[in-house]
Amino acid sequence: MILLEILLFPGFLFLFSLAFFTEWLDRKLVARLQNRYGPLHVGPKGILQPFADFVKLLSKEDITPARADRAPFVAMPILTLALAMTPLFCIPIDSLSALVSFEGDLIVVMFIMSLIALLVFIGAWVSTNRFGTIGGIRAGLQMFGYEVPLNIVMIGPAIAAGSLSVSGVVEWQSQNIWLILTQPLGFAILSLCLLAHLQRVPFDIPEAESEIVAGWLVEFSGRKLALLRLASNFELVLAASLMISLYLGGPTGLWHLSPFTYFIKLIICVFILSNLRALFARYRVDQLLSGTWKYLTPLALLQISMLKLLTW
Amino acid sequence: MAMERELFRSLRRKPVTLRFPYERAQPVEGMRAKVSWEIEKCIGCALCAKICPSSAIELIGKGRKAGIRYSVGRCLFCGECVDICPTETIYTTTEFELAFTGPKQMIVEFRRPKKRRKTTSEK
Amino acid sequence: MTAFQIPFGPQHPALEEPINFMFEVEEERVVNVTPRLGYIHRGIEKIGEGRTYLQNVYLAERICGICSFAHALCYTQAVEELLGVNIPERAKFIRTIMAEMERIQNHYLWLGFAAKEMGFETLFMYAWRDRETMLGVLEMISGKRVNYGMSTVGGVRRDITDTMKKDVEAKLNYLEKRAEYYRKVCTREQTVLERTVGVGILRPRDALNLCAVGPTLRASGIRRDVRADERYAAYGEAPFKVITYKNCDVASRIYVRIDEIFESIKIIRYALKNLPDGPFRVRAPPRVPEGEAVSIVEAPRGEDLHYVKSDGSEKPARWKVRAPTLANLPSLCKMLAGVNIADIPVVIAGIDPCIACAERVVLVDTKTRGRQVWTGEDLWRYANEWYRSR
Repeated sequence: MILLEILLFPGFLFLFSLAFFTEWLDRKLVARLQNRYGPLHVGPKGILQPFADFVKLLSKEDITPARADRAPFVAMPILTLALAMTPLFCIPIDSLSALVSFEGDLIVVMFIMSLIALLVFIGAWVSTNRFGTIGGIRAGLQMFGYEVPLNIVMIGPAIAAGSLSVSGVVEWQSQNIWLILTQPLGFAILSLCLLAHLQRVPFDIPEAESEIVAGWLVEFSGRKLALLRLASNFELVLAASLMISLYLGGPTGLWHLSPFTYFIKLIICVFILSNLRALFARYRVDQLLSGTWKYLTPLALLQISMLKLLTW
Repeated sequence: MAMERELFRSLRRKPVTLRFPYERAQPVEGMRAKVSWEIEKCIGCALCAKICPSSAIELIGKGRKAGIRYSVGRCLFCGECVDICPTETIYTTTEFELAFTGPKQMIVEFRRPKKRRKTTSEK
Repeated sequence: MTAFQIPFGPQHPALEEPINFMFEVEEERVVNVTPRLGYIHRGIEKIGEGRTYLQNVYLAERICGICSFAHALCYTQAVEELLGVNIPERAKFIRTIMAEMERIQNHYLWLGFAAKEMGFETLFMYAWRDRETMLGVLEMISGKRVNYGMSTVGGVRRDITDTMKKDVEAKLNYLEKRAEYYRKVCTREQTVLERTVGVGILRPRDALNLCAVGPTLRASGIRRDVRADERYAAYGEAPFKVITYKNCDVASRIYVRIDEIFESIKIIRYALKNLPDGPFRVRAPPRVPEGEAVSIVEAPRGEDLHYVKSDGSEKPARWKVRAPTLANLPSLCKMLAGVNIADIPVVIAGIDPCIACAERVVLVDTKTRGRQVWTGEDLWRYANEWYRSR
């Protein structure tokens, strides 16, 4: 039955619908915070809107610029989508252990997230467009800023749980206490760094619409753009799932163990991320770098050292 | 962080968007929109055609039997024709939803109804 | 790293209207900027020579959709000076009220536009939602939301009744509260301050040398406001302050404009309370005696200038418009040197660009120091000859 689990729940079909649902939820929440409706007409309350956008993009003309490097340009969206979906198999959704869990899968998740950021840079570089180049450079610079605090606060729960596996952390939390209560600072830093990784306001610098048109996405169109947007939705699910699994206890909680708990926590985490998106203006890349290195990294290190003190 | 309270307040309020076509904006009284003619009062002086800044009004024929050809596409909705007409033939309506499907539909003609000729038995 | 060129416009999500800037950038810094205008030249001044003075009022309104009343007011003042008519006091007060209402709706629009350039979508949505209140008031008074058709040669075309006054007062209170809230947000929100403080510096000496106008000038600490200097319409009687700030950056420009909203509300309240009785329009003859007149008003973006020359017929012989954004363009190029790419839209938004106002063609021959104004036909003939002889 492992095949059914991979294909349906909590495998591909579930993850795809979760990605579309998360995008709808995010757009609706941001719209309501801004006193407007959001998606409304496609499906009940507009819930099919992300799927309709995806299908529409698939049907549009797909242009590869004449001077772009053809093979990496075509491969990049597919690779990004694959890399964005892979870590989701390591997240426990309906039981205490995920579909794929082994000691060290947290490190693999962190590594794949860095790879995605690197792929953005490569994709921008092979588009040979001025705006794309600027967007790619900004994406690379941004990575210098948030990678270190992000990795530190993701290791924090692993240290507390004594296990380098996401499922191990969830299991530890189900027996002891939710880690958000003992490491609240880590949770806050994780939310901010995940916003930077997802390239959302206030850190959507590589795709800043009003400055460099679409940034690194500028030459991707049609099918490639559809895949990239889907990858971005998967990353949102991944970010929320990481927040849930590492700090909020995964699928355990009020109704003991069930995927509904995971679902409710997903909605809460997406609400936090959407709220932060509606609240701020966009930073400049040099302000991001100085802010992360001046504030976030020391605070993350402080959190880790407090862990050691607490366990003494 | 300064806008956080306002954001939560917006969550509770109804969105300000009007869901056209189910909810429509109500026209205000005195709004300047498409104009119309009561063609029986027209004396054919052509002052409206002369004063229109965008030449949206044309007379069909001459004198007291003249009709009016009004191009809504060219109209600025300024209301100068309403002000200058000596017999108050022209009046403003509140029709502002003026989307057309082709250039021919943009032209509205006002003609006088033809008088019925008396037949020999009626004389 | 070598410098490369980025084209900004004419189609760009940051610009409302088409204008082209060629930026030479090194890494993230702008080294040089070359503006190119002309994408939205519509030939308004030439069209104006073929229509009567009264029809040109409507053409003047449509030079710009947002500062339309300022252009119409400027033009009608110039024509009234040529005719030598004195418009009634009530008309002057109503014109003042309309001009200040337009200023309020323009500053709300600008606040949303600048927020969008910074990536602050929420403030953009809120500011434009509140602007709808002002547009509703303008529609109640004049019948239209933009291009009001209120100002005419000889006065105004419609009256402000007493029932309107109560509604206006309620809406003004609401707008005042909202402006106070936005002022609080723009002085306290950390991301807004990071993006606007210290960005786009224009020293007072440069501002004066490059002839900046409007809030751009006043944010560099210089007290110049046409309403206070010329006292046209009813500004001689309504008390108001000229707002200046000393910091010369985009944040000061935001504060100048928000404070101007408060001053405008004060002026409207005074004018509504002391609206004199009497007629609101006098009939003006269609034929204008020979002469020339210049009229300046304080449009929401700065000083707007109209020059009308008449030759005794009922159509103008020459009509020249100098819009405020054209005067601010040299200062813009000075401000843009040395900024980061990320600051470009913020700085451009800081001068409140209205490129549609700014498109006129004057040729200055630097060798002979002669100035000519060419018609389209002259340009066409010159271009053909030049290419033929190459």
